[in-house]
Amino acid sequence: MTVRDTGLSGSLDGETPEWERLARGASGYGVSEEEPEILRELLVFVLNDAPYAIAVERVREIIRLREITPMPRVPDCVVGVVALRGEIVQVVDGRMRLGLELTPPTRRSRIIILHGDDNRVTGIVVDAVDEVLRVSEHDIAPATTGHGGSVVELCKRGDEFVSIIDLDYVLDLDAN
Amino acid sequence: MAAKKTKRKPARPSKADLEFVAEAEEILERMREELADLADQRSSGREVDPDLVNGIFRSAHSLKGLAGLFGFEAMGKLAHHLEDVLDSLRLGRLSMDSPALNLLDESVELFSRLMQRLGKSNFESEAQSSVEELVARIEASLQQPAVSSDDFKTLDLDPSLLRALTEYEEHRLRENINRGRHLLLVDSTFEIVAFEEGLSELSGAIRELGEVVSTLPSPGEAPESQIRFSLLVASDLSCSEVTERLDFPDTNIRLVIAGTAEASKASHVAPETQDSSTPSPPVADAPVAKQPSVEESKADLSAGIESLKSISDTVRVDIRKLDELMNLVGELVIHRSSIAGIAERLAADSTTRRAAGELSKAQNSLGRKLKELQASVLDVRMVPLRQIFEKLSRVARRLQRDLGKTVNLKFDGVDTELDKLIAEKLVDPLMHVVRNSFDHGIESAEERAQIGKSAEGTIRIEAYQRGNHVVIQIEDDGRGIDPTLVRAKAESLGLVDRDAILTDKECLALIFAPGFSMRDEVSGTSGRGVGMDVVRSNLSDMGGIVDVTSKLGRGTTLTLTLPITLAIIQALLVGVGKQRFAIPLNSVLETLLIDCSEIQNSEEKEILNLRGEPLHLRRLSDEFGVTPSDEDRQYVVVLGLGELRIGLLVDRLEGQLDTVIKSIQGPIAQVRGIAGATEIGDRGAVLVIDVSSVIEDALRRRDAA
Amino acid sequence: MQRILIVEDSATMRSLLAATLEELGDDVKVTEAASGFEALRLLPREDYDLVVTDINMPDINGLELVSFVKRNEKYSSIPLIIVSTEGSERDRDKGLGLGADAYLVKPFEPETLREVARDLLSPSESKG
Repeated sequence: MTVRDTGLSGSLDGETPEWERLARGASGYGVSEEEPEILRELLVFVLNDAPYAIAVERVREIIRLREITPMPRVPDCVVGVVALRGEIVQVVDGRMRLGLELTPPTRRSRIIILHGDDNRVTGIVVDAVDEVLRVSEHDIAPATTGHGGSVVELCKRGDEFVSIIDLDYVLDLDAN
Repeated sequence: MAAKKTKRKPARPSKADLEFVAEAEEILERMREELADLADQRSSGREVDPDLVNGIFRSAHSLKGLAGLFGFEAMGKLAHHLEDVLDSLRLGRLSMDSPALNLLDESVELFSRLMQRLGKSNFESEAQSSVEELVARIEASLQQPAVSSDDFKTLDLDPSLLRALTEYEEHRLRENINRGRHLLLVDSTFEIVAFEEGLSELSGAIRELGEVVSTLPSPGEAPESQIRFSLLVASDLSCSEVTERLDFPDTNIRLVIAGTAEASKASHVAPETQDSSTPSPPVADAPVAKQPSVEESKADLSAGIESLKSISDTVRVDIRKLDELMNLVGELVIHRSSIAGIAERLAADSTTRRAAGELSKAQNSLGRKLKELQASVLDVRMVPLRQIFEKLSRVARRLQRDLGKTVNLKFDGVDTELDKLIAEKLVDPLMHVVRNSFDHGIESAEERAQIGKSAEGTIRIEAYQRGNHVVIQIEDDGRGIDPTLVRAKAESLGLVDRDAILTDKECLALIFAPGFSMRDEVSGTSGRGVGMDVVRSNLSDMGGIVDVTSKLGRGTTLTLTLPITLAIIQALLVGVGKQRFAIPLNSVLETLLIDCSEIQNSEEKEILNLRGEPLHLRRLSDEFGVTPSDEDRQYVVVLGLGELRIGLLVDRLEGQLDTVIKSIQGPIAQVRGIAGATEIGDRGAVLVIDVSSVIEDALRRRDAA
Repeated sequence: MQRILIVEDSATMRSLLAATLEELGDDVKVTEAASGFEALRLLPREDYDLVVTDINMPDINGLELVSFVKRNEKYSSIPLIIVSTEGSERDRDKGLGLGADAYLVKPFEPETLREVARDLLSPSESKG
């Protein structure tokens, strides 16, 4: 058992340069940090033969096309709802939302189930799901024009550019 | 003190200085507020809240640490002495009187002034001299503590609990014993991974009834996964009263010391409530400002209205597990329906007919067992409304004080039971309604005297069960609602046409229209009312409705009708064109097969003559934009809610089933007319119709023409 | 890898304690808890080699934490340092009586804390 009465009790005039150093250190001044390389993980999918991407953290799961029950009184791009192991989730057609041409579904068509904001889960119909891309910030640039706000950034992949979608914008469909 | 060390203080505040100032300013601001609260409590003659003093002490403590670390000697010294005063106050060594409080105020102000001068040259020497003077006065006022080493050995408490009491906690223990309070030990066990929520609910509930002197954790019976907390509680209420009010699982309460019979009037203990008793009028000993200015009290109302969350929180802990249970039972029910369907299909084939028969019998008994299971789970979920009513009483008492009105709150049917989930969601709308009654309904005592009413207003809340529903009526004997004023207001808001002809009842119903809010024109008082449209939409979310009747000058009655349970419902499956929809069976009065020729057309409205009465019809295909099949014969599903009726036209009836309504997730929050959806076996999602809005829309359409 | 748990409700003090202890070496990992409750939650998650706790904290105080740790078979062998204000000798006596291994009075030199920590972390020391 050790009791250390440091002899400083009750007074504050001990010279404590070390505390000051620690204080500055703890508050973040004058400390150089190594910048770790920031990587982003993107899920790349296809709409009308063009590649698009969203942050992988927003993806909950990917399912095959299944029966979609139509909903009344919703914007056209909300094609209906699907049943997902007891949950009922609205599904948006990605191509319609982005103003692209519609093509009939193929066996590569999928529904990407996403976490929206406010924990709302939503599904997006896409023509195909491609891959998960890990890129550093250097490969990403802001988009200049993009489908009226739905595309915010572009990501370089080989010779082409993948359009990164602003999910919150795309899912902001509530007219009310 | 050693020779003054030269601190390298530059002429301008450095970055570090600014950081210190920022954090210190925050602390000082908090202290100013807390000291103001302290002064309020003292001047109103109430017992000073020990938590408040403790809080200020800890602020001073932080301030001292901060000053010391950044090397501000004089300020550190000031903070140190400030802390000493507060420590003595909270430990009871110094009495809480004006000189002490003044010293505290002065210290805070000096600190503030010093901070403004930070970074100026000669700062330190100037600071020292200002501080010295105040410090000397502080030292003079601090008496030497005569620490009485009370051995709490005589108490029937686990020694390990006593050993872990800090000096402060010992002081609080002594205080409470001296004031003759009951001392109780509340023991509760929680899961280690999630104890905080449960524990804070428990302590929150206890704090309503008394003071938590100490909280001691110890390993639970299964130390890997459980943790036990022993709370030492001081209360004016007896052990049995506390036990009655604390309804938590795995909790034991026992008496350590019985208090003296006359419990002192503690400010944070709620007086007792009984079912239909009159809560006593505001206590005369602590005269809170009798007529606070209306504006102030209105502002206080929203801040001061006790959040009824603790009821919801209490309920929610059980509900998560119950919800899982309900979900499971619900899924089982759906699967059983699938099996029934399969049995039917098998029965059609001669080779499997016998097996189909057996399967059918088996799934029937399964169905019966599931119903029993469902009933027991539902039973566990049911709570009496008493808890909510008790909370309302407390809120009412505070409203009385704040508004200066005397109102008698009566309850009938406290034992009426409701699903916990609904009860939880009911709390807010009920609170709004009661508040509105207080605010706008009941007149002030003078007004009432002038018109010959009793000085005391009455709000009566009655609850009873009617079939599948629970009805809650809130009736006041206040000034009532003037339909002409409501109508005028609605017109000015564009909610109703000038020439529209409306009965008085229809005018009153306008208060539920979105965007309508009860303001001065309606009831003659100023200030905000809470929109009744919010109340109505809250209720409608639960499948309930609200109705209002009123007699000008005599009072207003609001009637809330709610389904008893939200969980599993029986639904009627109907088909229109290629789509199917589900309709909750409890809103279906009957179904009929008719020939299209029976439909009478009058002024673009379709009506059916049903046993001599006209039944307004609505085509589901029109309602939801679905292409119908072209048939001569159609089904009419007669829907009813309250006294309202319509007939929904559909192409097919596809059977009845038990199912669970799930909410629809996605970017569109609400779709009018749709209550949710359900999953049917392996045949996908089916939308469930929200009967009340469909009926309302249909009738509104009928009336507008 | 030596794991230290710091329990202290003042943010500034906490980061200072952390900074001080991190200087003990590269293989020292410091975890911070802002309250007694948080400490109770964090304790099961890792094997800590040392706990440093304040006394005056809002939900459960340091003494109660020490009592819990020392009465729990799983944690009773973890060395415990109490850091506290000088005001209460009684609290100090209680802390040691409950089984704390060291009691430091604020304010103290950072090196003092490190010395005491080093002592308690060193495997060759036999704990009493």
